[in-house]
Amino acid sequence: MKLSRRALLGALGGLIGGVAVGAAVGWTAKPEAPARTVTVTGAERTVTQYVTAPPREKAAITIIAFAQGFAWPELFGSDGTIETDLLKKFEEREAVDIAIEWGDEWAVREKVASDVTARVGKYDIVLVGSDGAVQAYGYAGYLEPLDEYFTKYPQEYFDQNDVYKSFLDANRIEGTLYALPYYSFGPGVIYRRDLFERYDAELPKDNWSTDDLEVALEKISEGLKRDGLTDTYALTMRAGPGEEPTLDLAGFIYAYAGYPAWFEGGAIWPSEIKQNKAKPILDSSDFEAGFRAFTDWVKRFGPPGASTHTWVDMMNLYAQGKAAVLMPSAINGYAALGITQDENVKRYTKFMLTPFGPGRKRINSYWTFSLGINKFSKNKEAAWRVLTYLTGRDSMEAFAERTMWPNVTMRSVLYSYPLIKKYGIEEIELNERSVVENPAIYFPYISELDLFMDKVGTMASDVVAGSKTVENALSELQKWATDLMSSRGYYT
Amino acid sequence: MREEYRLLLPAVAVLALLVAVPTFYLFYTSFLNWFLRDPEGPTFGGLNNYIRLIQSGDFRISLVVTLIFSAASVSISLLIGLGLALLFSEKLRGRNIMRTLLVMPIVLPPVVVGFTWKFILSSEVGIIGAYFMRLIGLGDISLLGDPTLALASVIMADIWGKMPLPFLIFLAGIAAIPPIYYESAMIDGASRWHTFKSITLPHLHKPLIVALILRTIDAFNSFDVIFVMTKGGPGMATHTLPMLGWKVGFYYFDIGMASAIGVLLLLLVIAVSMPLVRRISR
Repeated sequence: MKLSRRALLGALGGLIGGVAVGAAVGWTAKPEAPARTVTVTGAERTVTQYVTAPPREKAAITIIAFAQGFAWPELFGSDGTIETDLLKKFEEREAVDIAIEWGDEWAVREKVASDVTARVGKYDIVLVGSDGAVQAYGYAGYLEPLDEYFTKYPQEYFDQNDVYKSFLDANRIEGTLYALPYYSFGPGVIYRRDLFERYDAELPKDNWSTDDLEVALEKISEGLKRDGLTDTYALTMRAGPGEEPTLDLAGFIYAYAGYPAWFEGGAIWPSEIKQNKAKPILDSSDFEAGFRAFTDWVKRFGPPGASTHTWVDMMNLYAQGKAAVLMPSAINGYAALGITQDENVKRYTKFMLTPFGPGRKRINSYWTFSLGINKFSKNKEAAWRVLTYLTGRDSMEAFAERTMWPNVTMRSVLYSYPLIKKYGIEEIELNERSVVENPAIYFPYISELDLFMDKVGTMASDVVAGSKTVENALSELQKWATDLMSSRGYYT
Repeated sequence: MREEYRLLLPAVAVLALLVAVPTFYLFYTSFLNWFLRDPEGPTFGGLNNYIRLIQSGDFRISLVVTLIFSAASVSISLLIGLGLALLFSEKLRGRNIMRTLLVMPIVLPPVVVGFTWKFILSSEVGIIGAYFMRLIGLGDISLLGDPTLALASVIMADIWGKMPLPFLIFLAGIAAIPPIYYESAMIDGASRWHTFKSITLPHLHKPLIVALILRTIDAFNSFDVIFVMTKGGPGMATHTLPMLGWKVGFYYFDIGMASAIGVLLLLLVIAVSMPLVRRISR
């Protein structure tokens, strides 16, 4: 179709005219604050003074997260799509207009990656986990460092002094804070007291060891077989392929070696690794000890399908009353308590600190569901206010009241009446000790962390499934890790 | 320009935009060292991604799993589809209802198929995986936790979900065979096997190739069912090339390597299906 010059000029003229008219309308429609005239004594002059400050323009803040309906239902409703009165009040108070986009975990990861790497800044607040995203985006400079925001933009929602240090440490890269934690967990053992007693296994205690636990698991396992309970298992841990098991597996490595035995000298920061040219030691006896213990326990004491199990399977198995012990990500045990219909599970479930490994460290497991500010956000100050509210005391209290899980970031919330009433002060104190006495950083904090998480977890799944021996798996891991770190320039 | 070519231009333009451009871009990015989260951005890497891929153990395992999965799923679904099409071509009571039921799995989204079979085969709660297996004394075996059985399970789920397609193709092919051939064969006293071999099978030559092409392409690209059922596990027992491409691209964010996987998968599918397409054209 041929366009005449006249038609083209007409279209262009119309476009320019339309934009000009629109701008004029927008300008004239801008609200003005009321003003008054003041007469200054002594000299007659007129001063125009605004009665109130001009109204703040609302900053549009977009958040991206998963766990729709589970995260902040008090703000976004039980289906995550409603603007509750509480949210409206906050928006009025802080002059913000909040929009939240939900997705499943994989979709959210992809969207966050696309947005930050394209430097678009569509999402002002992004969800990041402390098992890879904080590290990858923190090092790449895609997240806003937050330390100075506490002093530059004081707020009343998030009290650093009330938050357990380890949960903040989990979101620090070489000392700089990049995200704030929402719900988070540390290590623990959830167990069925009745099954321990029935099979004459020694009950978990404060200073117990992995040997003690192993003996107990053997007794329970044999007892269950004797009683013909073929669908009940001594232990449930996750060993599905991918990153899932590695948070827990890394805790075993830490406990058995006594340090994060991933790189020579226990190096965990990129600067350390580069400076010392610390090579991976994934085939060393230190790494192997914990890796072998984890895979061995899952095979011997867990269900036959454990090599495909995720946290959901762990939780469901325990909730159905088909496992005596769930560890070390105890949050899944508390989630199971919330959904179980089994009276014995409700009545006899207890919590204990994880046992000490041969390295004199407790088996560890840490994760934080964290939020950070996109480096390319155009409303960082407003995003900060929203971020501190989403991760602040009110939100944590609402989380604790709703879930009744003791997996909260703040001491004041952990020691709140609803949780103490449900679990008793002793169990609350044990939960506190689990996050105070165990470090959040027990594996390398490098930008390639999620690759390691996935690879190590998949190898563990292979070993549990019986398709690889520990030796073969670690030999392959060592080669893979050395090639990866070399290709990323750590040893040049 | 000739009229017929001018009329084709809009369709060609759309195809070029939606198919050719992304394909060329895929080839282009496969030659880049491009880690999406790296602030330095992409750099030209030549054949680096392909070399790394071929040397990688994960690629070799995924390739083998893909070939086994595709060969088993395609051959078994064609055999079952043909058998059922032959059966339901006969004048049987209730055949229309049975045909409808047989076709239903293909209506279901693959994710639903995956979840359904995951729960049926679960060694904790599944009607087959837990209850039936314990009933026959095999409670210690996990259908999704054992590497060999897990692969067999995802193949079976894929066959169940995709078999209706060859069934429908063969049913249509059989219906198109003129009845006079069968009548003549009956008059001549030919056996059922002889009738099948000499009349039915030759007439199903082209429908068979069509079904083979479609099923092969589909099997090589199969992702949803496997992802939902086993996530490529246990270990890498059910880890196919599409799964590897997804993981490398959307989990590792290694765009260059993921593109190389995409290119190799594309070439593999073309290599397998082109000879079949040529046979149809003859």
